[in-house]
Amino acid sequence: MNISFRLNGEKVEIDVRPDRRVVDLLREDFGLTGTKESCGAGDCGACTILVDGESRLSCLMLAAQLQEREIVTIEGLSDEETLHPIQSAFVERGAVQCGFCVPGMILASVDLLKRNPTPTRHDIREGLSGNLCRCTGYHKIVDAVEDAAACLKDDPCR
Amino acid sequence: MRHPAGHKDSRTSKRSPDRYDRPLSIGTRVPRIDAYAKVTGREKFAADYYGDDLVWAGVKRAGVPHARIEGIDLKRCREAPGVICALTHEHVAGTNRQGVIRKDQPVLADDKVRHCGDAIALVLAEDKESLERALSMVSMDLEPMPGVFDPEEALEENAPLVHEDHPGGNALLKGELQKGIGQAAAAECEVLLEGCFETSYQEHAYLETECGWAQQDEEGKLAIVCSTQTPFRDRMEVAEALGLDPVSVRIIAPYPGGAFGGKDGVTVQTLLGLAALHSGGRPVKMWWGREESFVAGTKRHPASMRYRLGAKWDGALHFLEAKLFFDTGPYDHLGGVVLTLALEHASGPYRIPNVKLEGYAVYTNNPVGGAFRGFGVPQVTGAVEQMMDMLAHRLSIDPVELRMKNALRRGDRSGVGKTLVSSTGLMECLDVVSKHPFWTDRDEWKSAAGPFKRRGVGMSAVMQASGYGPVVPDYANAKVELTQEGKIRVYCGVVDMGQGNASTNLQIAGSILAQTLEEMELVLPDTDRTLPSGSASASRCSYTFGNALIGAAETLKRRILQRAADLLMAQSADQLALVPGRVRCLGTGRELSLERMARLMDETERVAVHHFRAPVALDKLAVADDLRLHGMPHTLFSYGAHVTRVEVDELTGYVEVKDYLAVSDCGTVINPQIYEQQIHGGVAQGLGYVLMEDFRVTEGAVGTPNFATYLIPTAPDIQDIESIAVEIHEHTGPFGLKGVGEIATNGPLPAVSNAVADACGVRFDRFPLTPERVLMGMRTAEHGKESREYQLQTER
Amino acid sequence: MPLRDVFLPRTLDDLWDTLEQRPESMVYAGGTDLFVRLRSGSIAPPSLVCLERLNEIKGVRDEGEFLFIGAATTHGFLLAHPLTVEHFPILAKALAVLASPPVRHMGTIGGNIVNASPAGDTLPPLYVLDAEIEISSRREVRRMPLADFIFGPGEVLLGKGEILTGVRVKKLTNENVHHYEKVGLRKGQACAVASLAALLRLSPSGVVEEARLAWGSVGPTVVTLTEVEHALTGEVLSHDTLKGLIPLVRDNVSPIDDVRASAEYRRIVAGQLLLRLQQYRWGGP
Repeated sequence: MNISFRLNGEKVEIDVRPDRRVVDLLREDFGLTGTKESCGAGDCGACTILVDGESRLSCLMLAAQLQEREIVTIEGLSDEETLHPIQSAFVERGAVQCGFCVPGMILASVDLLKRNPTPTRHDIREGLSGNLCRCTGYHKIVDAVEDAAACLKDDPCR
Repeated sequence: MRHPAGHKDSRTSKRSPDRYDRPLSIGTRVPRIDAYAKVTGREKFAADYYGDDLVWAGVKRAGVPHARIEGIDLKRCREAPGVICALTHEHVAGTNRQGVIRKDQPVLADDKVRHCGDAIALVLAEDKESLERALSMVSMDLEPMPGVFDPEEALEENAPLVHEDHPGGNALLKGELQKGIGQAAAAECEVLLEGCFETSYQEHAYLETECGWAQQDEEGKLAIVCSTQTPFRDRMEVAEALGLDPVSVRIIAPYPGGAFGGKDGVTVQTLLGLAALHSGGRPVKMWWGREESFVAGTKRHPASMRYRLGAKWDGALHFLEAKLFFDTGPYDHLGGVVLTLALEHASGPYRIPNVKLEGYAVYTNNPVGGAFRGFGVPQVTGAVEQMMDMLAHRLSIDPVELRMKNALRRGDRSGVGKTLVSSTGLMECLDVVSKHPFWTDRDEWKSAAGPFKRRGVGMSAVMQASGYGPVVPDYANAKVELTQEGKIRVYCGVVDMGQGNASTNLQIAGSILAQTLEEMELVLPDTDRTLPSGSASASRCSYTFGNALIGAAETLKRRILQRAADLLMAQSADQLALVPGRVRCLGTGRELSLERMARLMDETERVAVHHFRAPVALDKLAVADDLRLHGMPHTLFSYGAHVTRVEVDELTGYVEVKDYLAVSDCGTVINPQIYEQQIHGGVAQGLGYVLMEDFRVTEGAVGTPNFATYLIPTAPDIQDIESIAVEIHEHTGPFGLKGVGEIATNGPLPAVSNAVADACGVRFDRFPLTPERVLMGMRTAEHGKESREYQLQTER
Repeated sequence: MPLRDVFLPRTLDDLWDTLEQRPESMVYAGGTDLFVRLRSGSIAPPSLVCLERLNEIKGVRDEGEFLFIGAATTHGFLLAHPLTVEHFPILAKALAVLASPPVRHMGTIGGNIVNASPAGDTLPPLYVLDAEIEISSRREVRRMPLADFIFGPGEVLLGKGEILTGVRVKKLTNENVHHYEKVGLRKGQACAVASLAALLRLSPSGVVEEARLAWGSVGPTVVTLTEVEHALTGEVLSHDTLKGLIPLVRDNVSPIDDVRASAEYRRIVAGQLLLRLQQYRWGGP
């Protein structure tokens, strides 16, 4: 099946079986291994991507569903030169340990801050409740998202 | 060596833009070197290796806990579309056995099945779909055998044997130890309490399940990229099991996506190696699914613990007795070592003149018990710290005061009689807790509970040994290079599975050589490029490797300065200093760039290596050689004191941890951010352990096969965790540090349980404290009924 | 895994054609349940039909006295919709704790209904709201009360060639207590071990004038108990009143043991959850 969609800002077309999981398509066919898989069942959030700007789980989506969508993976969030404020905040605030949950966690944060630009720490925790992290205890992740929110508020066009 | 196509070699990390640009120094909050590549998705984990012409390998698992293998029929499987080959134990040329102490785990099961996760056949296929279908076509003729699923029953006379050839029967290791007059001291106690505690399995639940990539090149060299804590040990294990020369095996260890002990030893490595020997030179990938990881991976040992604790009326501890049963599953995945560390910590961080300890690591047909952050210590700390609270309650002594009265100090003898010669900061930790508002204002806080809520405050004191003990050498070999480009390259011999030691290494070397991150490069563990430095485990990484690294960095510094002194015609190296990117003659102000220096130095001068071996206990304790071999006693310990405030819902039994404070003595702090990460992460795993992580096993079968049924904490489940470091310089540690990797995991179970007991007046003996367990416990207490399941601990 | 066709019809007419041509297809909207079952091997449909592009059955329509919610409306959309928040706070409360944000962005209300799990978070609120569902096929559109549609765990009255197209809910007028409590084993992504939805009309003096109650996860389907509702009517929400009703609840739910909790625990908690309603006696939590 021929599928065309926008991937990290570029129009792409690919001939792929329609029932291929999106996480496999991204990782294996496009080499975008920033999207992780950890449970394959929607319980962990490691495979989170943005579909038309909204966080979704690429392990629970099939290739056919990408048709005409706008997809952003962690690789498309920033260029080589500058980090997205959420990425910078994760670095600065020590929100990264093993890092396997981090791409999903950051994309979930993008969605969260779009819906709620001034979240409380409670809101941040709720907003990230679909993304498991086994290393950090979430404390520094919440710190980072809080920082990023403040930063994005000053520069909302990011 | 070919690299997987389509991915550039990212094994040396690059700096980020807008990066921390000050010279590195000890004690500063330097952002982690690995964070940039991880937040952009560019970091390449073992799971991210693919490559052209890739072969997928997978394992057919037994699915039954104990059986004789009568036959394995691979005909249909081999004929299935997309199958390259299907292998059994007959294709394993070496010993077909893996393990660290007792090598008793087959790569592919040969005579019998010993647990549901045993690997029976290895299948190679063109793609994941073909592999999945082919695995379902493996036909196994398994003759069921009676199994053993309870450690105490497994020790009975006529219990079925897991390993018929083990001289100890189902007791993998039995440990006994007496201090003072042992049990005879019971009669001298003025108060004597009894308690029994049962803790559950804990699954590591790292986000990156076990995975790797392997390929054999034209010269026969087998390269395995894998998610591991132990690349150097893996090399030996893989070679021995497969009948290869270790020098023909190369293990490359990228940053694992979490490990926590679950990757301390072979997971996919040997299977991948075997697959790569049968793939016709094509690269092979294996990546266990979550369900497979849960079935086949190791777990924290479930423990059954019986305690007696005796004291004088004034609260001075006089006698402790502990009997421990650890369910180690069918293989010695460090189970004996785990039990030994549990025994060493079974008396808690207290001065107790008379101790009697007995413990068993027992073979069963349950999942494999293994290494997990804390390594036997969370279980016994859970028990002894609840005993301490029960004693405080009985004697009407403040729980912190009781602990202060008995706390180990430097020069004291530990529970197993080892003299504490290294820094011992427990008193300082307890002091902070005793003055903290969580503790001082606890009555006021408790009285402010809302409707249907009961509040409680609890604490615990913890200690954690680091290193391998007196027999197994705990060494590291650091290598630092001034590259031709004038960069300082640190070759890490120890894996960074997320704990941040790679960054700490740069901080240590950078601090000595006065460089910024800009000038630093990192090479992750690789048996062909870095030097053997032991496992990433036992709270030892920064201590042991850090000490080696100081030596290597100092050597390189001396060489650079000496050579520069010659070139700049300075009187001696003392008149020069390293500054970022250059060497400066302080008197004349003349400078040479490090790049220039690199060109002027010979290759042999630009690389400095240094070996360090950790000090061991010199005490001659009356313990069996077996226990010494398994690590008793240690000589270096970290300490801590935790306090938590909890709220229990009367209607549902739900326990909410509202606040948590961890005060820790892990020596001086190299990087406060990384230190806090370790404390936060350890506490969070401990909170999962006490509140919700309930890995179910019935007759050897896993009842919680995935993240929908085995629950770990989500972000709303963990509130902010306060970490306070009591910085006491440890004179043997690099810049005074001690290990911080594990200690925080030990505190939450007893602290929360003590807080719940404070809130509801009920002492729980089984964990985790699920809402059901707590509600039923409260009801039983209220109705005053006897219930075996939720029985209160009775005081003698 | 054999190649599976995946169809994404754009219109209901396309859908009917597909279902006629490929009657063995399995229909899904968000996929958050279906793909979990596919992974576990409990189902193996030869082809799949995804409803996510069917705009006709997506979104919220104001029908005056009623609100019509298209079956393929995601939980996330519904949760953020002003009409949900304004008219059905009880539904919003349940949606807010349903799974996790990414699952809410995929999963749909129709999926939650057809999946018919006793633990489905939207179900107890929809039961107390007397929701009516709309089932369509090429030939007809039929409507029935939600409570008649679901007859067991995962079991619904959906015929071949039919799909659930929407839910119709009457806007509330006088109910002033919208209560939803889910008991789970953790806070985030909790699966209900027991839940209670309560929709009450209280007089200014705190007397219950009307009560609708529904429990999740304590029976094969959502449990409603008219005896309890009647007994509560005319009473004030005092501790004693509520406590007096606990045995009635306990005796009339039919929970099971599973990996999350025992039947005994669920039975006890189902009753005790009533006590939480006390907080509304003086006007709210």
